[in-house]
Amino acid sequence: MPKNLTISDAAAFLADYASRLWGCGATCVRIEKNVGRIAAALGVDCELTVMPAQVEVSVCEPGTPHTVVAARRVKGAGINFDANARLSRLSWAIADGRVDYAGALARLEEIKHLRPTGQWEVLALASLANAAFCRLFGGDAAAMAVVFVATLAGFRLKQIMLADGHDLRMAVLCAAFFSASISAGAALFGWGSTPEIALATSVLYLIPGVPYINAASDLIARHYLCSFSRLMDACVLTACLSAGLCAGMFILGLADF
Amino acid sequence: MSTDIFINIFEDGLFAAIAAIGFASISSTPRRAYIACAVTAAVGHAVRYILMAPAMASMHIVPASALAALAVGFMGVMFAPSIKCPAEVCFFPALLPMIPGMYAYRAVQALISCMCHSGEAEFNHHLSLFAQNGLTCAFIVLAMVIGANIPVFLLKKTAFQATR
Repeated sequence: MPKNLTISDAAAFLADYASRLWGCGATCVRIEKNVGRIAAALGVDCELTVMPAQVEVSVCEPGTPHTVVAARRVKGAGINFDANARLSRLSWAIADGRVDYAGALARLEEIKHLRPTGQWEVLALASLANAAFCRLFGGDAAAMAVVFVATLAGFRLKQIMLADGHDLRMAVLCAAFFSASISAGAALFGWGSTPEIALATSVLYLIPGVPYINAASDLIARHYLCSFSRLMDACVLTACLSAGLCAGMFILGLADF
Repeated sequence: MSTDIFINIFEDGLFAAIAAIGFASISSTPRRAYIACAVTAAVGHAVRYILMAPAMASMHIVPASALAALAVGFMGVMFAPSIKCPAEVCFFPALLPMIPGMYAYRAVQALISCMCHSGEAEFNHHLSLFAQNGLTCAFIVLAMVIGANIPVFLLKKTAFQATR
């Protein structure tokens, strides 16, 4: 263990690191691997408990009975693969001795304040992505155009609601309602020959794909609690999406569409 | 005829690539990984298209998704060291266009319909739709994750040292 580093410092750093990695959407296997790698580099024994809402790190110096436990709440700031990649690189930098403890703290702080991809860039790319998705399901050019506009409007609404501090579930429900109502125009006004595909695919950008994949990954790795938690989060968001879609279809008289 | 098939496969891969870049941006994927995600998604989706096409392998969506995810996993692990990102940063966005989103929300819709219909026959019909869509969704996601993780465990050193 480095001379200027106490066990308490090591435990606090590892707990901060693990909670940040959890928060940006890493799988439990990734969290265990990275934390284990850093602990080995710092010369401490570490037991990590990953729970759905918090992580707990128990650290002791080899050969001594003194143990320090640090727990941190998981700060869910949304899936962020850039932060995930940076945190992984940080773990290797520590393991290879390319960064000291002070440097590692500074880099972790930097990653905490990492900004997500620009909202306009995401808005444009997500809208294009959903229009492409519509095509994959057999939608024609008119359906793709409708889905593009519906996604643009729905996704923007979601961004505004989240920026205003609204609950994610409410934002997803409202965005699905908005997108479904706009894409219903294809059926109501007879745009194109595949209005049903436009309606069905207009809300797919809201499907929480990464939590579904993470839930299955954790299930395979036998992290059942985290797996169930992620699965439930994803199912609740899917239910909100469906409720918004059904409400939009019902209000516009497309209940049997 | 064969030209049409190639055009369809190309089109499927192209639109899957566009979808992957968009879904990658939602998850704040580093920009340097966009091309790797797009290529990986294009190959994965095209493989699934070939496996599922009635004129070709005519496979069920679950095994087809598993095999496509296997291809995605191998490509993700191969690309990871060059883009200095963990393998999942490359292959998760590539898997997203294959996520059975429509099955997922149709299952929820069917569940809501169960409550709205009191007649036994209609209730059973919607319950059956719920089970069918829900099970298909669950098995596709599981198959995809198993398929994509096999290369990670086969090529452990490359996969876990990509960010070194």
